[in-house]
Amino acid sequence: MRKALLLAVLAATAMPAGVYGQNWRTVTKSRKIENNDPVRVFVDYGSGHFTVKASDEGQLYSMNLRYDEDRFEPVAEFSGTRLELGVESTSNGWSRRGRNESGQFDLELARGVPMDLELNFGVVQADLDLGGLALTDLGLRTGASQTTIDVSEPNPEVMERALFEVGAAEFTARHLGNLNADRIEVNAGVGELTLWFNGRWQRNASVSIDMGLGALELRIPESLGVRLEKDSFLTSLDSEGMVKRGDAYYSLDWETADHQISIDLDAAFGSVKVVWVR
Amino acid sequence: MLQLPKCLTAVALAAALVPLTLGAQVRDVISKEVSVGRSEAALRLELTGDAKLEISFEDGQVFVDGEPVGSFKTGDDLEIAWRALLGQAVALDNDALSRMLSDWTVPADLATELAAVAQEIDQALEDALTSTEVTADDDEGTVSVSIGDDASILRVLLNSTNRLGLMQQALEGIAGDFKIHVEEDVVIPEGSRVDGTVVVIGGSLRIGGDVDGDVVVVNGTLELLEDAKVRGEVRLADARITKNLGEVDGGIVKLLDDDRNLETEIRDRIRDELRGELRSELRSELRNVTRLGREDDGFSLMSPLRPVIRGVGGLMENLIAVFILGLLGAMAVAFAGGNVDAISETARHSPGRSAMVGFAGTLLLLPVWVLGAVALVVSIIGIPVAVAWLPLFPLAAAAAAVMGYVAVARNTGEWLSDSGYPWTSWIRKSNPIITVFGGLLGLMFAFMAANVISIAPFMGFLTGLLMVAGVIVTIMAVQIGFGAVILTRGGRRREWSAPLDADAAWEAAMDVDVEIEVDPTNDDEVVNDEEGRDA
Repeated sequence: MRKALLLAVLAATAMPAGVYGQNWRTVTKSRKIENNDPVRVFVDYGSGHFTVKASDEGQLYSMNLRYDEDRFEPVAEFSGTRLELGVESTSNGWSRRGRNESGQFDLELARGVPMDLELNFGVVQADLDLGGLALTDLGLRTGASQTTIDVSEPNPEVMERALFEVGAAEFTARHLGNLNADRIEVNAGVGELTLWFNGRWQRNASVSIDMGLGALELRIPESLGVRLEKDSFLTSLDSEGMVKRGDAYYSLDWETADHQISIDLDAAFGSVKVVWVR
Repeated sequence: MLQLPKCLTAVALAAALVPLTLGAQVRDVISKEVSVGRSEAALRLELTGDAKLEISFEDGQVFVDGEPVGSFKTGDDLEIAWRALLGQAVALDNDALSRMLSDWTVPADLATELAAVAQEIDQALEDALTSTEVTADDDEGTVSVSIGDDASILRVLLNSTNRLGLMQQALEGIAGDFKIHVEEDVVIPEGSRVDGTVVVIGGSLRIGGDVDGDVVVVNGTLELLEDAKVRGEVRLADARITKNLGEVDGGIVKLLDDDRNLETEIRDRIRDELRGELRSELRSELRNVTRLGREDDGFSLMSPLRPVIRGVGGLMENLIAVFILGLLGAMAVAFAGGNVDAISETARHSPGRSAMVGFAGTLLLLPVWVLGAVALVVSIIGIPVAVAWLPLFPLAAAAAAVMGYVAVARNTGEWLSDSGYPWTSWIRKSNPIITVFGGLLGLMFAFMAANVISIAPFMGFLTGLLMVAGVIVTIMAVQIGFGAVILTRGGRRREWSAPLDADAAWEAAMDVDVEIEVDPTNDDEVVNDEEGRDA
C-alpha cells in the first residue's frame, strides 16, 4: 500500500499544476518520535477511504491525505501528548459540483508508543490494521460506513475498554482477542456485523453488544469459553454448540477454558448467529 | 579537522577558533509536511532547536517563510524541479530527508531568472538545515562543538565576555571527550547513552538516558527525567534545574555566580512586577476618572452615586411599566368595558378558583399550542389555519394574561380606594381608568419600594424581601387574572362573577330546576314539584 501511495504522490508531485482537472490536493505529513510518552490520538474523517496501520519508521505518525481542497483542509496538530489528525470542512453549504471521486487518508502510527486512539468517521470505507500498536484505549465511531478492523498482532498494552459505535454500517472486526482488552463494547444501529473473537487472549473479558436492526455473526474460537446472555426483541438466535443454563447460553468448555468472555447481547429486530471456528 | 589543545577554556577557545574549525552538520527534521495541489506545492519543516522552514510555490509566486522571493510560471523548469524535490521528500524522513534537502542544488539548465529564485531556495534550505559544528581532537580526547546558527557564537561571545571566568570555572578539571552545544536545545532520549562530557551553553538540556561523564550547563536549563543517569558531576553556571528526577553520581554543583545572578534576577523580577502593578493601577484609576458615570466595578468618582442611579432607574422602569399597562387597561376598559367588568368580578368573587384555573391554563398553554399545531398540520385542510395558529395562539395567551392582570389591578384599585390608606384618595371608583392605574401602582408597590430602599446603604436584605414579595404578588395577580379570563371566556360569561349561591350551584351541577312550595297552614307539609330532565 505504501508503495502504491508513494507512486500516487510521486505522480501528483511530478505533474505540473495545469494538468489537474479537479482541485485535489495531496498532503504528506509526518512527525518524528521524540519520546515514548503516552499520546492521545484523535482522528476525524468525514468521507473517503481510510486506512491505518503500525509503522516502525521512527515516526510518531505519518499520513498521506488526498482531499478536495475546495471543501476541506487537513488537520494535523500535535501538542506534547495530544495528536489530532484528519480533515475539516471549509465549505458552508452544499456543493453543486458532483464528486464521484472520494478522498483517501492513509495513516501510519508508531509501533510501541502507548496511545489512546479515537477514530470518528462519517461516510467512510475504513480498513484498520491495529496490530502492533500499543493501545491503552480504543474508540471507533462511524456513521454510514463499511469498516474492517483487524488486530493482526497482540496489543502489548492492557486496554481498559474498546468501544465501537457503528451507525448504519457493515462492520467486521477480526482478532479481537489481540486487543488485550478488559471490556469490549459494540453499539450498532443498522447493519451487518461480524465479530471474530480469535487472536491471542491474555485475559478474561466482558463484551457488550447493543444492536438495533441487523444481522450479527459471532465467530468464536473453540478454545474460548463463552457465556452469552441475550435480551432481545424479535431477534432470532442460532446458538449451535452452546447449552442454555438459566438465562444464559454457555459454551461446552466454559468452566475449563483458559480464557472466558461474557457476552451481553441486547438486540431488536434481527438475527444472531454463533459460528465456532478452529 | 584541526587539533586543539583542550586544556584551554573550551568554549572561549572554540569560539575564538570558529573561523578555522567550522564544519557542517545537518539538523534533525522533527516534522515534515509536503502539500501538493493544483495551485500550490509546499514544503513545511519543523527542525530541532525550534527552527521552522516553509517554502511554497503558490499562484505563480515563490515564498520562503511567507516572504516572496521570486516568481514562476506553471509548468516551467523551476516548478518541475521543485515538484521533483517534493516527490523525493515524500518518501524520506529524518536524516535522509535532511541530507537530501540540504544537498539540493540549483539545476544547471535553469534560465538566469529562475536560477536566481532557485538560489534563494537553496540558500534557505542550507541555512535552515545546517548547523555549525566544531570538532577538535588531541591525544586526551575529542572536543565537539555544535552551534545553533552562525550568529550564535557571536552572541555568546558578546554576552559572555564578563562571564568567561565563570565558564572557565565551570569547565575546570573536566577531562576526556567534550560535546559542546552552543545555543541549542539538546535532548538525550531515554535508552540512549552519551560518552564524555556534555556542555550546553545558552540552551536547554533534557536528559532521559545515560551520560557517562559530566554535564555542564551555562546560562540555560537542565531537566533530568526519571530514568536519567549522570555518572559524573552536574555543574550549573548561571543555569537552573527545572526537573530533577534522575540520578547524579557526582552531585550537583551550582557555581556562585548562579546564586548571585538568581538573586539579582529575582530582585529585578520583583521590581518589574511592582512597577507593572503600579502602572496598571494608575492606568485603571485614570481610566475610571475619565469615564465618569460608566458602569465599572472599580472605584471612581461616580461610585457613591451608583445606588441612587440604580434605584431611580429601577423606579423609572416600574413607572413606565405601570404607564404602559395602564394604557392597555384603559384601552380594554374603553373598548371592552363589559368584558373587563365580568373578568374583574369573577376574579373578585372566585379568586381561588380563578387562580387554580389560571395555573392549570398556564401549564397547558404549551401542550395545547403544540398539539393544536400538530392536529392542524396532519389534516391537510388545517394547514393554512396552522400558519395562523402558531403566532396567534401565543399572542392571544399574552393578551389574556395582560387583560386578566389589568382586571385584577382594577379590583386592587377599588380596594385601595375603599381602604382609606394615605395617598389613595385620588383613586376614584367611578373612573375605571384611574382605578386601573391606582391598582397597578398598588400591585407594583413592592417593586417600587424595593427600588427606593436600595438607594440606602445596608438595606440589601429588605430590598430582597420586597422584591420577592413583588414577584409573588405579580404571579398571583397574573394567575388569578388569567384564570378569570378563561372562566369568563374572555369576559363573555358570568357564571362565576357573583358570590356562590348554593341552590344555583346545585342546579348548575344537576341541570334541574328546583321549586320549593311551603304551605303556610301546615308547617310539616312540603310539596316538591320537580321537573327533571335527563341529564
